[in-house]
Amino acid sequence: MNRNPIPPTQTPVTSLQVGHGLACVAFLLSVSAASIGQTQSEAQSPVPGPPAIHVTHVLGFDGERHNANGDLKIQGSAVQFQRDGKPTAQVNISSIQDIFVEDEDKQVGGTAMTLGKTAAPFGGGRVVSLFAHKKYDFLTVEYLDNNGGFHGAIFQLDKGQGQTFKKDLVANGAHITPPTDRAITQSTPEVKHENK
Amino acid sequence: MKTNRETSLAATKTMFRLPTFHRPNRQRGALAALVLLLGALQLQLFVSTALAESSTVGKSGAAQPWSVQVDRVDPGNVGLEPSFGVAIYESLLEELAKTGQFKQLFRSGDRNANDVPNLLILKTAVQKYTPGSETRRAVTTVNGATKLNVRIQLVTREGHVVLENVVDGNVRFIGGNLRATHNLAHNVAVTLKRSTLPE
Repeated sequence: MNRNPIPPTQTPVTSLQVGHGLACVAFLLSVSAASIGQTQSEAQSPVPGPPAIHVTHVLGFDGERHNANGDLKIQGSAVQFQRDGKPTAQVNISSIQDIFVEDEDKQVGGTAMTLGKTAAPFGGGRVVSLFAHKKYDFLTVEYLDNNGGFHGAIFQLDKGQGQTFKKDLVANGAHITPPTDRAITQSTPEVKHENK
Repeated sequence: MKTNRETSLAATKTMFRLPTFHRPNRQRGALAALVLLLGALQLQLFVSTALAESSTVGKSGAAQPWSVQVDRVDPGNVGLEPSFGVAIYESLLEELAKTGQFKQLFRSGDRNANDVPNLLILKTAVQKYTPGSETRRAVTTVNGATKLNVRIQLVTREGHVVLENVVDGNVRFIGGNLRATHNLAHNVAVTLKRSTLPE
């Protein structure tokens, strides 16, 4: 009997195919490695901090003069007050003990406007005052210096910016005291007369 | 022969001749001037000594041996906004530094104050607070004043009250609400300046 050998249904794997497969694997590996590297490089690149906000320094920030206009910016681990783009005072965010935001209504125009309103006849200044006011946020930052001394700084911001900046500060490591704890800690008793 | 009359006349003439008249008078004048000069010198020396003594006394009386540590403001239960507490505290530090009454000035919690002798602690407790409105003040003039009333105490480390007083700080006409804190701090500094601290 002559048996004809049955031809195999599966073609034998040629070296060419193996080469293609290897090339595909190599390509996939290289692509995945590139993507991993890109992800890592993205993670290592510095995350840009929140943008600077325009503020008026009311008082108390590290020797800065009162009512100075400038920008408040989170730069690395510090919060900086900048005038004309140059940092003039800064405080470490980790030294911040508490942050408060309040809103308050203020007259606009400054001293010149006040004098003008005073000089206006027939009570015209009062009418102007009725409309010449604007709401502002007041950001109060309490922090400690290197010797443990307590400082407080107040900034005047446009309405709505205070809470955002507070959140940014907290996200960067600033402490805040819950209101319940605050009520307990702030009740420093007066000394009674019996010691007199 | 000269008569007596002539002799006496000649003597008188000699006496009242200008150079003869001037010589003893010049000597007397010089003596008087010297006496006056010495008197003036003595007076000047006395006055300058007295002034020096009084200035020394004044300086030693004004330069108190006390240093002061400003404590954080106790807001009490009057609903004081945190910005007001901070503004009072910072304004107090500024105003007390201006008076120069105390040898050294420390912030609350400053570790450098631990070793300082003769340290007084300034405690401030808010008793009354009336929140005002700048717009209401500008429109009505008579309404919208921001008023603060605080009790201040100067206390030694041991807890003895050296001084106690009640001070007001208001803003009634021109200025923002926080101006009340500046006025209050100024009044506190004036009150402390006027008071006599124990030696």
